[in-house]
Amino acid sequence: MTGLKKISVLALALLMVVTSVFAQGTREDASASGKVELTVLNYIDMSEPNSANEIKMVWDKFEEENPDIKLVREDLFNEPFHQKTEAYVASGQLPDVLYMWPSGRSTSLHTTHSVKDLMPFLEKDGLVDDYNPATIAPQFAGYLAELPNGITTTHMLYVNAKVLRENGFDIPKSYDEMKAMVKPLKAKGIDLIAMDNMDAWVMQSCLFSMVVGRYGGVDWYDQLSSGKIDFTDDWFVKSLALIDDMYRSGMINRNSLSSPYGSSRGSFASGKAAFYIDGDWSTASFQTDITTGKALISPESQQKDFELMVIPNLPGEVIKNSNSGVVGTGWGMSANIPAGSAKEAAAWRLIKYLQGEYVQTYRLTTGASFPSNLKVDVEKVVEERNLEPFIAKRAAYYAAYTPITPVIDGVLHSDVYNVINTGLQEIGLGDKSPTQVASEVQKAWDSWKKNQ
Amino acid sequence: MPKAHTLADAKREQRRAYWTLVLPGFLVYISVMAFPTIFSIFLSLSDYSGGKLFGGKPVHLVGFKWYQNLFADEYFYLALKNNMWIVLVSVFGQIPLGFFLAYVLYRGIVKFADFFQTMIYLPTVISTVVIGILWKSFFAPYGAFPELVRLFNPQYEYGISNHPMLPVLFVILWMYTGMYLIIFIANLQKIDSAVIEAARIDGATEGQTLRYIILPALSGVLVTTAILAISGSLKSFDLIFVMTAGGPANRTSVLSIYMFDKAFKGAPRYPLANAISTVMVIISFVLIGLTKWAESKFGGRE
Amino acid sequence: MRDVKDTRSTRAKINLGLTYAVMIFFTVMAIYPLLWLAMNSFKTTTEFQLNKLGIPRDWVLVNYKDAWVRGKFPILILNSIIYTGITTVATLIFSFMAGFAFAKIPNKATKYIHGSFVIGLLLTLQSIMVPLFLIINWVGLYNSRLGVLIPYIGIAMPMGIYLGTEYIKAIPTALVESARIDGATYMKIFISIIVPMAAPVGVTVAILTVTGTWNEFMLINILTSSDALKSLPVGVQKFAGALSSDFGKQFAALMIGLIPMLLFYMFFRKEITKGVAAGAVKG
Repeated sequence: MTGLKKISVLALALLMVVTSVFAQGTREDASASGKVELTVLNYIDMSEPNSANEIKMVWDKFEEENPDIKLVREDLFNEPFHQKTEAYVASGQLPDVLYMWPSGRSTSLHTTHSVKDLMPFLEKDGLVDDYNPATIAPQFAGYLAELPNGITTTHMLYVNAKVLRENGFDIPKSYDEMKAMVKPLKAKGIDLIAMDNMDAWVMQSCLFSMVVGRYGGVDWYDQLSSGKIDFTDDWFVKSLALIDDMYRSGMINRNSLSSPYGSSRGSFASGKAAFYIDGDWSTASFQTDITTGKALISPESQQKDFELMVIPNLPGEVIKNSNSGVVGTGWGMSANIPAGSAKEAAAWRLIKYLQGEYVQTYRLTTGASFPSNLKVDVEKVVEERNLEPFIAKRAAYYAAYTPITPVIDGVLHSDVYNVINTGLQEIGLGDKSPTQVASEVQKAWDSWKKNQ
Repeated sequence: MPKAHTLADAKREQRRAYWTLVLPGFLVYISVMAFPTIFSIFLSLSDYSGGKLFGGKPVHLVGFKWYQNLFADEYFYLALKNNMWIVLVSVFGQIPLGFFLAYVLYRGIVKFADFFQTMIYLPTVISTVVIGILWKSFFAPYGAFPELVRLFNPQYEYGISNHPMLPVLFVILWMYTGMYLIIFIANLQKIDSAVIEAARIDGATEGQTLRYIILPALSGVLVTTAILAISGSLKSFDLIFVMTAGGPANRTSVLSIYMFDKAFKGAPRYPLANAISTVMVIISFVLIGLTKWAESKFGGRE
Repeated sequence: MRDVKDTRSTRAKINLGLTYAVMIFFTVMAIYPLLWLAMNSFKTTTEFQLNKLGIPRDWVLVNYKDAWVRGKFPILILNSIIYTGITTVATLIFSFMAGFAFAKIPNKATKYIHGSFVIGLLLTLQSIMVPLFLIINWVGLYNSRLGVLIPYIGIAMPMGIYLGTEYIKAIPTALVESARIDGATYMKIFISIIVPMAAPVGVTVAILTVTGTWNEFMLINILTSSDALKSLPVGVQKFAGALSSDFGKQFAALMIGLIPMLLFYMFFRKEITKGVAAGAVKG
């Protein structure tokens, strides 16, 4: 039985390793040393440029400056992050400070009121005026559940102007101009728009919400919730039909439905597509990684060859140049922390720090987010620190494209927006027609409203 | 040391020994599997909507409401259909293919049998997470697959076909065929080779030996592997979760993914999720029962 | 006559050639994706964009270095070894003990207890995840090694019990009975007769438990919060799950996730192939 022998040797070795690990593995008792221990759920993509640096510049620095607080941080990203959040909500046992969405994937944190209202904290410290008023408006459950990084515009059309130039095109001024580029580009093996539609939220958040705003107007959500318009009406069906048209005309490839989120950025940067559609947050992934000095798009080329804009004039739109936006992700505080406790004070200190001038300036320099804190003077920082062109271009883009209309998963309940997400993919597959999807959405909306 | 063993003593010792042996494992099992399962059946009949279970909002029993919701949802049937596709690929893809490869290797038709066996089994041992991500990037529109095909056919345009399940089924076939190969080889080796040689000397062709000697000897194993394939494919989760997470538009969803989405995506629907898992267990029972029935009716005995 | 023989032998040769072609095709199919991954883990992200299929022009090791440090893989690998090792040993012990009792000690309860384990074979992990999380929290084992190990053992046990019981049933009852007559206790019989004789199926159970536990990534992510307690697949999924930002590093992370099982396979190749087969024969 050589197999048995091998296994027993292995088991023995294991036992030794294990005992040694357990021996050291006793947990430090934070309270004994007089420190307040805070558990934190953080959202970070460790493989992204500058993430390692962020740990040092943001988290390590906080602990240095606040020796009386001990942070126990859980770093997660993508699906594992959301699973974990749901499990926390289900058990009612939350980390003290947690990264969260103002709605969308964090719906259950809001609906169960698992986090505190942060407005009283801001008021007490006299910080209300420090923040852009739009960013501290009440969120999904009617209060300020998380203090946001800023306003996020969920639609951004990244343009590879070099590809356009080389093929004799200008920056397009209308949807139809873009559509006319499909054939000539395809003949050269270049896709018109790169987009990663495997995850259902991408189409809804990064393109469709903007389109709905263009056809439904700035106040489509108010009209909808007061019952003045329905999903089966023209504004919504037209919006769906536009997406249908984009797939049919090859502006967006149907095969983008098997493209994992973010995976076509590289191809876009290297000129395999003329445009790329994503949210504003993705500018960061094209920028230089401080630790390696490498970038998907070099600063010179960012300046010369790339533009940031929105899809121009759609046929039959009711408002022009609008974009879809929502308050950004940010930090919330567990409702389980007793009011007035030392822990609460520590947690608030951390949140204040994370959305304060220092961290927001840092996050601006890496392109991670645009500040909600008015103390951060974007123009000055851009100039003084000689930041990459994408950051300046992004500031110009925010100024150029208004008004901002709601993002679907920012205002609708998941029971409704999930139907929209799936419907958009079904349109992409060519399985359902816009009117079919519209009536299914209406059905979901009606049944959600009935249960309220 | 002579012991006066009375019958009662022996019985008592027997009982004590029985429970000492059974209890440690059974307690662990009860606490982490059996109890949560019963608990989940209970949840499937309730209106629990997340939040603290103990001391939160009171939970009421609502009967079979969630089961009704489930059977009215088109995506439930989509997921069920995909599960059936996986069962089909396992039973009519992996098993025959595994058998074919095993047969070739066993009959010594090719040399380096050991090498072939090792390589074909290799995908089975690798972490599902790695496999899933690997294939996800391989099949992406800007991934390697379209470029690979273009080497042979420069005109090729990678479109999403009407069957988004195809890549998933392919990977399942790729990953697990090796397992069936090994199972069949081990069982083929149990057949007395003298019988086969005798048949060959008597002039039986390769095909006849297969038909009249080898296949009958393997009927029991075939049933076992079919059961393995059925229960395995109903439980399949990890690979699809990593590879497609059920998308696009739930077209690659299976029951376990469908359930996971209900519990963890958007507003939680734990009762519905638990209803799905109860239904899944019932389906496995039925399918495995059918296979056993087929065995007793048509199959030989092991 | 000669002609016939000739054509027959050419045909046989063609057949043989075809068979080889088929075998080589399947072998290439099986390992090509893995080789592709290995190759790309040595490319920079920029090179990968331009050269997705070929051999790297410059072989860079920096991907591995970056992934290794940023993904915190050393601790994750150690954790995986700990979880897998302890789970496997405990599963073996518990399921052999219970298997022995089920197979050789008559008791009315066997039907029900053994039956409940068999049902466990059909349960999916996802269905018990939420209740399990609630329970683990409730007993205060959240974010601890024990809180991961106990569920892992419980999950591995149905297979262990099922295979163990079947195998031990086949051991002649006369052996047990004669030992009883000689005055041996059940414990002694278990250790000196059952364990040595059931060793082959032990290998099977061990291998199934090792691969199953090693690959698990969902439950442990839910049951622990600190990086110091998570396992390799969680790390791989976290680091490379959304392949988007830096392919080179992410492919390297996938390789790091792949190599331990590859080594395990190379080391135990014989036992694995034998074990898996033995496990499936019964039924």
